[in-house]
Amino acid sequence: MIKITDLQKYYRTEEVETIALNKLSIEVKEGEFVAIMGPSGCGKSTLLNILGLLDDPDGGSYLFNSIEVADFNERKRADLRKHNIGFVFQSFNLIDELTVFENVELPLIYTGVPASERVGRVEKVLDKMQIMHRRNHYPQQLSGGQQQRVAVARAVVNNPKLILADEPTGNLDSSNGNEVMELLTDLNEQGTTIIMVTHSEHDARYSHRIIRLLDGQTVMENIMI
Amino acid sequence: MIKNYIKAAFRTLIKNKAYSFLNIFGLAIGIACASLIFLWVEDEVNFDSVNVKKDQLYICRENEKYDTYVLTHSSTPGVMGPAIKTEIPGVANVCRTSEDQTPLLFSVGDHSVYASGKFAEASIFSMFTLPFVQGNATSAFAELKSVVITESAAKKFFGNDKNVVGRSVRVSNQSDYIVSGVIKDIPSNSSMQFEWIMPFKPYYDRSPWLWKWSNYSLTTYVELKPGVNPESVNKILYNYIQKRVPEALGHTFLFSMNNWHLRNAFDNGKMTGGGRIEYVHLFTLIACIILIIACINFMNLATARSEKRSREVGVRKVLGAGKAALIFQFIGEALFMAFIAAMVAVLIVLLALPAFNLLVQKQLTVGFNNPNHIFGLIGITVACGIIAGSYPSLYLSSFNPIAVLKGIKLKNSGAAFIRKGLVVIQFSVSIVLIICTVIVYQQIQHVKGRQLGFNKNNLIEMNLQGQMAANYDVIKQDLISSGYAQNVALSDHSIIYGGNNTDGMEWTGKPPGSKVLISTRYVTPEFFETSKLTLLEGRNLTVADTGKPIRMVVTKALEKLMGKGSAVGKTMHYHGDTTTAVIVGVVNDYVYGSMYDKPDPVLFFTTKPQNASVMYVRINGHKDIEKTLAAIQVIMKKDNPSYPFDYRFVDDQFNQMFLSEMLISKLSRVFATLAIVISCLGLFGLAAYTAERRTKEIGIRKVLGASVGSVTTLLSKDFLQLVLLSCLIAFPIAYWTMFNWLKTYQYHIKIQWQVFAIAGIAGVLIAFATISFQSIKAALANPVKSLRSE
Repeated sequence: MIKITDLQKYYRTEEVETIALNKLSIEVKEGEFVAIMGPSGCGKSTLLNILGLLDDPDGGSYLFNSIEVADFNERKRADLRKHNIGFVFQSFNLIDELTVFENVELPLIYTGVPASERVGRVEKVLDKMQIMHRRNHYPQQLSGGQQQRVAVARAVVNNPKLILADEPTGNLDSSNGNEVMELLTDLNEQGTTIIMVTHSEHDARYSHRIIRLLDGQTVMENIMI
Repeated sequence: MIKNYIKAAFRTLIKNKAYSFLNIFGLAIGIACASLIFLWVEDEVNFDSVNVKKDQLYICRENEKYDTYVLTHSSTPGVMGPAIKTEIPGVANVCRTSEDQTPLLFSVGDHSVYASGKFAEASIFSMFTLPFVQGNATSAFAELKSVVITESAAKKFFGNDKNVVGRSVRVSNQSDYIVSGVIKDIPSNSSMQFEWIMPFKPYYDRSPWLWKWSNYSLTTYVELKPGVNPESVNKILYNYIQKRVPEALGHTFLFSMNNWHLRNAFDNGKMTGGGRIEYVHLFTLIACIILIIACINFMNLATARSEKRSREVGVRKVLGAGKAALIFQFIGEALFMAFIAAMVAVLIVLLALPAFNLLVQKQLTVGFNNPNHIFGLIGITVACGIIAGSYPSLYLSSFNPIAVLKGIKLKNSGAAFIRKGLVVIQFSVSIVLIICTVIVYQQIQHVKGRQLGFNKNNLIEMNLQGQMAANYDVIKQDLISSGYAQNVALSDHSIIYGGNNTDGMEWTGKPPGSKVLISTRYVTPEFFETSKLTLLEGRNLTVADTGKPIRMVVTKALEKLMGKGSAVGKTMHYHGDTTTAVIVGVVNDYVYGSMYDKPDPVLFFTTKPQNASVMYVRINGHKDIEKTLAAIQVIMKKDNPSYPFDYRFVDDQFNQMFLSEMLISKLSRVFATLAIVISCLGLFGLAAYTAERRTKEIGIRKVLGASVGSVTTLLSKDFLQLVLLSCLIAFPIAYWTMFNWLKTYQYHIKIQWQVFAIAGIAGVLIAFATISFQSIKAALANPVKSLRSE
């Protein structure tokens, strides 16, 4: 599903050039659950941003479903992203002015799903995430665990082929963290490919494969049994 | 998607009440101001539009060339109208009317009132749009002693009686006239104004001077056939009078009704294109400036609080929103705000309209069923929304989602620069408006305080009616002996306005072919003492001076014109007439007609009371004014019983001459204040966000020992620098604008540097007062709390 080859990314200031990704090559197959680990500054988040088409690589190739997307412009990237990729963030990133229902509905609006269809799809996913009773609440009225469940619901409502999760349990206690990991595992079992950046060995154990990065390069891959 | 945007916008608005209030209230004031100005502009540009034949109607004007200038006026020979109609192809109709409005006394039974109107030919009803509510145009002037009145005049004469056609009114206590028609009241934005119209023929027949080609005392209106080019008619008109009177100065031309009100300025015989239209342009510009100032507030506050919305932008981008969708969203939000502001603005307009009408002396109304008003308001609102939302939408939609979702502090130096630039624009405009307001006010005060050459205070003017001329000596005696009046005099013309003039005076030493326009006044000998004109040389006029040889008094300006030495003893005569008149005295110059011009030369002759038209009473300034008027009324009732006591103060007439300038002064004062208020609202909001952004810095500084004063200075300094920069930009602009404005007046003030200093200090103080509230509040905050807030 994803194949990156010799991917490069630099960050430049007037005085210093930092290499975030140094000719990195990774392949992720459809239906895989991959965890990316490594110390701070190793390039985990940069990789996730490029995979999520939020950022451009400075070199190398990125094939998404066998299509070269590395040189896509902003409009094409947004189009591919909204139809194929869901995001889950450490800090949930829900919009405070919108209710739970409306936050989850948002990706459907951007993909042009008709209003009549949207209601059913949002209710279904809220029900699945067991937060249907909170549909009219605002994010600030929910606990951290509930907010992350809303964020997961928002990420999956468009039935994306790929979910990118950036430390999804980083702001949660262990109980809520486990709940979120169970949700991601369920989604993966239903066929969704998941790539998760994490610092937590515990969370990484939910994945099929762990890729460890250092200085923008792969240093080790562990297959989980 | 739109529903989602509206919901988000509405909740953002509710959540950020103070921010929303500043934005909506600022925009609402801006839209309300612009709406009021545009209502005024609409009234001005639609002047005379009531006339269906507006494009075909013209007034005849004359260009008269004198030694140093060309005078343009609308007085025409009385015999010209019928000649034009018969001789010039393309002329559909002609209407002659008396000049100005004549006030006459109308009596129905015991009830007597004054009403002003004109003597006009019957063609007035077919040329101008004057809809009859009673009677009809065809039969209106079938009888010579008939009168057509407006609905208001009908009410004034007959109270609530309906069907007044056929009823009789006594005019000037002399003749009975039959009301032959009632027409709708004439809109105030019409050049043709009257309460009554009477047939022209009797007026013409009893005024033999009107029958000459050399006398210019009537107004002539011309209707051209559709499609006729006025220039082709003007070619014929140019020497039209000269064919009858070769030495005549007046060259006739047609002046279109489309230009009567707005573009009636002439310079040296040429239409300048200026006039009232300049005020229309000026206030349209002010309306736009105020709207832009309000939009700038919106832009500044929206970009200042962009950090608060950055995460939302990031999330929406991650979820697939493109830049266009975000621009659409933020412009939509601005439009949403603008529509709420428009609703508030309508409320403000409805509340302010009575006061505004009083200010501009109009009866403007808001028409909820008037498509121009509805679409105008929607247009202003949409324009505001788009302008106000343009920059914030571009700015916010350009955020990098990765950066904003990671909480990386935005590098918004570009936005901050633009924000500062916009504040500078706001304050520059405000300071320009302050300076202009002060200078316009100073100029008006300067002219109002001008030494006119006579004393306009405690001077009453009355039209000579009924027995006033016959009983002049008795009235004078009674008034003076009452102790309420110091002196009484008669004149053929009002002292403060123009009057008759002639270019036909000749004297020894006058250059051959020289044409000089000299005003002539016929007065009783008490006139100089009553008006307080000072006799500089020679003697006053006497009653005996009406006989031959004719004696006269001249003003100093005329004495200078006649050459060196005293004018006393010199003689003058009319061109083509050998009868000479001797100058017996010289009085000081005095200003009349235009209060901005230099005093023109004047000749005074003695008049008999029956040839005068106005009476002047110099009242005793030491007595109570109400008691004085009551006492004069009693005397007038005794000596002129058939007429009500009707008077006016000359100083009021003087003030009336500054209506346009006073309007400019008042409007610029109001709109300058509002522009400053709107600018301050924006500054207040910006100061609040700056204080919020620098909470941590303030906390650290306080922990390290900074005083409240130093923190307040720190926060205020940046803004005050911007206001000082605004002063530097505003001063030359204001100077240039006012220098050119003052140049249009002969009698004007010199621009003083103190005005700029005051405006600059005022700008700084107003800005400081606005921001100091936020700065002091931030400086007084508990540092522990502010540090925790990070």
